[in-house]
This record gives sequence, C-alpha cells and structure tokens, in this order.
Amino acid sequence: MIAAKPHSALLLLGHGSTVNPDSSGPTFTHADEIKRRGVFAEVACAFWKEEPSFRQALTMVESPEVYIVPNFISEGYFTQKIIPRELELAGPVTRREGRTLKYCEPVGSHAQMTELLLHRAREVAPGVDPRVASLVIVGHGTSLNENSGLAVKEQVARIAQRGVYAEVLGMFMEEEPFVTDWRKLTSAANVIVVPFFVSDGLHSYQDIPVLLGIEAEPGVAASRAEVFRHNPHLTGGRSLYYSSAIGTDPFFADVILDQVARFDSQPIFTAA
Amino acid sequence: MGELIISEGYELRHHLDAGREGLTLYTAPGAAREIALYDEAGNYRPLKTAPTLRRGWRMGLGAIGDLQEALEGFYPAMLAARLAHQNGKLRVTPLRETLNRQSGMYAITKKMTDEQANATVCAFCNSTSGCLKTILWQIAPGIPITTLPPEKSAPHGDFPLLCAEGCNLLVARAREVVKQETP
Repeated sequence: MIAAKPHSALLLLGHGSTVNPDSSGPTFTHADEIKRRGVFAEVACAFWKEEPSFRQALTMVESPEVYIVPNFISEGYFTQKIIPRELELAGPVTRREGRTLKYCEPVGSHAQMTELLLHRAREVAPGVDPRVASLVIVGHGTSLNENSGLAVKEQVARIAQRGVYAEVLGMFMEEEPFVTDWRKLTSAANVIVVPFFVSDGLHSYQDIPVLLGIEAEPGVAASRAEVFRHNPHLTGGRSLYYSSAIGTDPFFADVILDQVARFDSQPIFTAA
Repeated sequence: MGELIISEGYELRHHLDAGREGLTLYTAPGAAREIALYDEAGNYRPLKTAPTLRRGWRMGLGAIGDLQEALEGFYPAMLAARLAHQNGKLRVTPLRETLNRQSGMYAITKKMTDEQANATVCAFCNSTSGCLKTILWQIAPGIPITTLPPEKSAPHGDFPLLCAEGCNLLVARAREVVKQETP
C-alpha cells in the first residue's frame, strides 16, 4: 500500500474524446476513488481531447510535488511525445517554478495487465474451454510511433507462454496485423477478443465492433445502450466473444497508485 | 459564471432557471459533471464552455469546497485560470504558437493562414453558438482577432471564463479548414 503524500498532487492524464461521452469516464472514476482514499493533497484529471486540457493540467494543482500518471496503455506517441510536449516535461523529473513534476509510467506497462486481460477473457466467455479458443488482444497501433503496439505484443507473448489458450494473437486498428483480418488470422471455433484500451469509448465500443464485422456501423455510446453487448456473436461458423475494455476495471485505481510507488522506488529518478 | 448563477447558500442553477420552481435538486458536487455532459437534446458536450448547458436542475451544496468541485465539473480549469489571471500569472499562448507545435494528424495546421485563422476563430469561438470564454490570445503577436467583437477579448464579471490558449477542438477544426482549403 502506498504511504500518504500530504504535500503531493496526483495528475491523471487521459485521451478523452470530442465525440464519445464515455472516453474520459474511467479516468474520472479512478481519480474519484483515489481522492476517496485520501492519499494525495490534490487529485486532478486532464485530457488531450477534452477539458481540462493537458495545457491546463498544471494550473489545477498547487502542491510542490506533482506525480503525473498517464492513463494510457502504450508507452508510445502520447506518453513519449504529446504529454512531455504539452506539459513541457524535461524527463522523468522536471523542476520548474518551485515545483517538482514526476512523470510516471503509463498504466498499461503495469505487471498486473496480464492478469486483468485474462480476467476479462474468462469473464466474457465463461463456458468456453480456453484450450480450444483463440484469444485476441486488440490495441490501437499507429505508424506515428513504433512503440505503440509494443504493449499488446508483450502481453500476447506473456499470455501465450502460459499455454492456457489454443492460440494468442495481437491485432491492431491502425497497423498490421489488422483486426479486420481476424477471420483469416485465427483458427479456433471460439474467438475471444479483449480490447487493451482504457475505456469503452469510441475505439473499443464503437469502432472495433465494426472492424470485427459484428456491427454494421458504429452504434450509440456504451452509456446510451440498453444492453452493453450480447455475446457470443455467431459469424461464419465461429463464435466471437467481445469484452469491455480492461481500463474500466476498478483495480485500475490500485494500478495508478502502484505506478506512483514504482516511480519512488527508482532512485535514479528521485535523486536531487 | 458562464450560464450559471451562484446564489447564497452555495446554490447553483442555470441562469434561465432563475426563480423557477420544480427543478430537480442535486446535492452531490459530482453531479455537475453529469449535468454538463449532454445538452438539452441529449447531444454530448465535448466543450464545456459551449452555450448549451441544459436546464431544469439546481444544486444545493453544503460548503465552499463542494461549490468549487461543482464549478470544476461545469467549467473545468476555469477557477484556476481566473486566479492565475488575477495574480498576473496566466500564461497566454498565441494561436500561431499552438498550431506550430502540433504533430501527427494536426501538423497540417501549421499551414493555416492568418486570414483562415481569423475566419475559423469567428465561426468556432463566437459566444452565440460556439464558446462563452473570453479569448486572451491573438492569432500571432501583433496580429489580433478582428472577426469577433472587442468584448470577446475583454474579461468581464466576477467569474469570467478565460481562454489562455486555443483548445484542441479549435485545432481539430483548423485541421479540417486547412485540408479543405489548401490546394
């Protein structure tokens, strides 16, 4: 458990969306839970596509020490380029105007992600024997940063190593292998797809179902749907199970706090 | 503040609901974020300072801290901007600087001309249908916004909503304009 930090602020950064109302929800929910635990003097959220913006983020907290945790899956374009640029961070530690800004690793690089992905897979297809099922982990992927797909690839390797599922594959929206090709790429009759995303937002709830072919067009936002989603989807003789994004799991509040504790445990970053 | 009226006893409601009875009462400050999420027609409001706050509710809050949290839900980061402005510490960024640092899909906005920028700001940021914030930035140093009335750049009232830098929604609109209008 993390020790109380009465002189520190926690800043949680999310992507947010200009079109989907559910994108920022989990980030706010995790922030509310961390506030409730009273670990930090202040807790605030900021977003790339919503308000408060990344540019406004540091105006919202006053503490002399600010831990910045990206609620992002990948150590990629956003965590390596956009966030440092928008918050004017010099590296893991930035000292500016009497404050120390501590830039932590994104939630997606936490060791517990493997368990959370497996938990989602079991939860969405409870009666399916994993030994005869294909497990697909879906990420965004982008040509803008070669590391963007790395988080998915690492999780695929870890899960495959356990030998629980007949096969484990990583697929992407915007880089190869494309999620649209899942029928060709998987071989089992039961295919379980878990979106490695922080929210049931535009990509995981509306875009990927279209790419998978289980929806003809992007439907309404998850919070506006009467039923989250019916499983399985029977298509071409296969049963496809599509789960909600892992970032909605309440355990993410602990993951965020762990990323702060992990930052503190690395002496190279905290030396004055 | 914006479309809100703040009354004694930490009460909040839409200014057009002043004196109206039968409003739905909320007492938890967190409800502000939910109220601000959709407009009257049920459309998502990505820009919280758009003049589309829905009506029919009031918030009865117990303490100043709850009031601050609710105002943060309605108008994120605006209290901090006001305080920084009062203390002379609000950093204002010209639009040109914002556009010039964009990358990826927004890098194209670097090509936006001052004329296009002025027209885009007028269409997107005007207080009638766009955004209620007072714009403190210029297109570029020495190149003011000429397409909006002067009062759009003059903070007024006790709780002005202040825009210190063009938002991501404006940058996204700039991208569309440049893509459409660049040969």
